[in-house]
Amino acid sequence: MPAPYAFTLALRSLFREKWINLLSVLTIASGLLIISLALFTVYNIEAATGRLPEQFSMILYLDNGVQKETVDGAVAALRKQSAVLSVRYIPKEEALKELKATLKNSGYVFEGLDENPLPDALEVRLKKEALGEEAVRKLAADAAKIKGVKEVDYAAKFLSALHYLKVGMQTIGLILIVSLGAGIIFVCYSTVKILFYRRNDEIETFKLLGATPSFIRTPFLIEGAVIGVSGGVVSLAGIFAFHYIVLLRLSASMPIFSMILFPSRLFLFLPFAGMFLGVTGAAIALGRLKY
Amino acid sequence: MLEFDDRSDMMIRFDAVTKDYDNQTALRDITFSVGRGEMVFITGPSGSGKTTLLKLIYSAEKPDAGTISVDGWETGQLKESSIPFLRRNIGIVFQDFRLLQNKTVFENVAMALRIRGVGEREIKARVYESLKAVNLRHKADAFPKRLSGGEQQRVVISRAIVAEPPVVLADEPTGNLDPATADGVMRIFKDINAKGTTILIATHNRELYQNSGRRVIRLDMGALASEDRT
Ligand SMILES: Nc1ncnc2c1ncn2[C@@H]1O[C@H](COP(=O)(O)OP(=O)(O)OP(=O)(O)O)[C@@H](O)[C@H]1O
Ligand SMILES: [Mg+2]
Repeated sequence: MPAPYAFTLALRSLFREKWINLLSVLTIASGLLIISLALFTVYNIEAATGRLPEQFSMILYLDNGVQKETVDGAVAALRKQSAVLSVRYIPKEEALKELKATLKNSGYVFEGLDENPLPDALEVRLKKEALGEEAVRKLAADAAKIKGVKEVDYAAKFLSALHYLKVGMQTIGLILIVSLGAGIIFVCYSTVKILFYRRNDEIETFKLLGATPSFIRTPFLIEGAVIGVSGGVVSLAGIFAFHYIVLLRLSASMPIFSMILFPSRLFLFLPFAGMFLGVTGAAIALGRLKY
Repeated sequence: MLEFDDRSDMMIRFDAVTKDYDNQTALRDITFSVGRGEMVFITGPSGSGKTTLLKLIYSAEKPDAGTISVDGWETGQLKESSIPFLRRNIGIVFQDFRLLQNKTVFENVAMALRIRGVGEREIKARVYESLKAVNLRHKADAFPKRLSGGEQQRVVISRAIVAEPPVVLADEPTGNLDPATADGVMRIFKDINAKGTTILIATHNRELYQNSGRRVIRLDMGALASEDRT
């Protein structure tokens, strides 16, 4: 069939049924917008937690009066661990000096203190990749067994909370994407089904005149694609509006919001996603044509 | 008229065809054939199975027994994907018109060419020519609802012949026409028949076939009652 005619038919139908079509465009747009916001959130949590490990460290308190060789041995043992980025030895004098510096306005707490109560310590920084709750716990357990190490301290609760937050957000994001994607396909499906039923008589006549299935289907698929792309474009406009109106204003007044990343490139897929979902919905709605 | 014995000269052939709707038999053990280039009438009382017989030819209904062949194609063995191509050989004047209400007269007639992938320029020329043949050139831009019954019927005829198919099936093509207009339509059929088109006309209208010298197949309650020449 000459493709231009399929476009003519599709455009005419888009125009004739403009209210149904507009409604589905808006429904698809809101679905895609919610997907985008979910992606945006997951993306930011990933980015934020990705930066954390550099600041995450573990403190190993050493036995009182530990020998220099034992300390060296412990440092060497830790460096062998693949998750370890760096190890720093903090003698108790230095620890006390740091503590005094931190608390210099309340120096009175150290009055009458003739012996340094702090133990020697090792500060262990971890590599980015190692920031799994499991891995850190295992490392802590291993470190505790090293000769000369009395106690291992790390932000276990924080780490596991972070871990669950990440997994939770990813799961919610995935569920949102899958269910809204299915929802969008369903919206396109029912729209095309309605248009198809409305034109059932016409389609029966087309068949009797000798039209092939592709002659009949192509205009509907084009319609599905146009509805889907339009929904995608509207949601794209929506997410950019969210960026400019909400995010930029917020970060102007509250600098903490400027840490939020806006992956604008990522959202350019929206019209294509819309088109894919629209065509899929339309194809399911048309099914196999019976002659 | 000639008798057609040679299979290859047969455009349409029914062999012991039976068609049931639900529990009712619409056609019973029908055997006949129509030769290439022949013009044949099918007559019989209302409900005798005329429309059903035509539907079997263009494969809108399937026979429950027997075989039907059109232009050498056995319709029972046709793949579903081939049905559109079978139908492109057949121009149909539907008893219930089947005009597209939201399209103009021009577009309705043009549809027969569009589905065949004919280009726009050729469509224009051929549609106007075909509308002129049924005297409706001036109604090209009207919508079917605004036409009289007889005018609508002529649009349907125009659509059936515009692609110049080798077979034309006309179901009560003069049902809404006054005798003069009916004459005009019959003249069109005779014209295209003279150019080689095989034509099958289902009608109650005795005047159409009386003294025409054509073969008349008479149905009665789904059975072939008689087959004679007038
Ligand atoms: N789709 C259908 N479902 C059930 N029964 C049908 C169907 N179509 C036709 N019939 C029945 O089959 C019989 C033959 O119908 P058909 O339409 O072929 O008659 P006809 O000769 O064309 O009649 P008319 O002259 O009134 O157009 C009738 O009794 C009719 O009720
Ligand atoms: Mg009938």
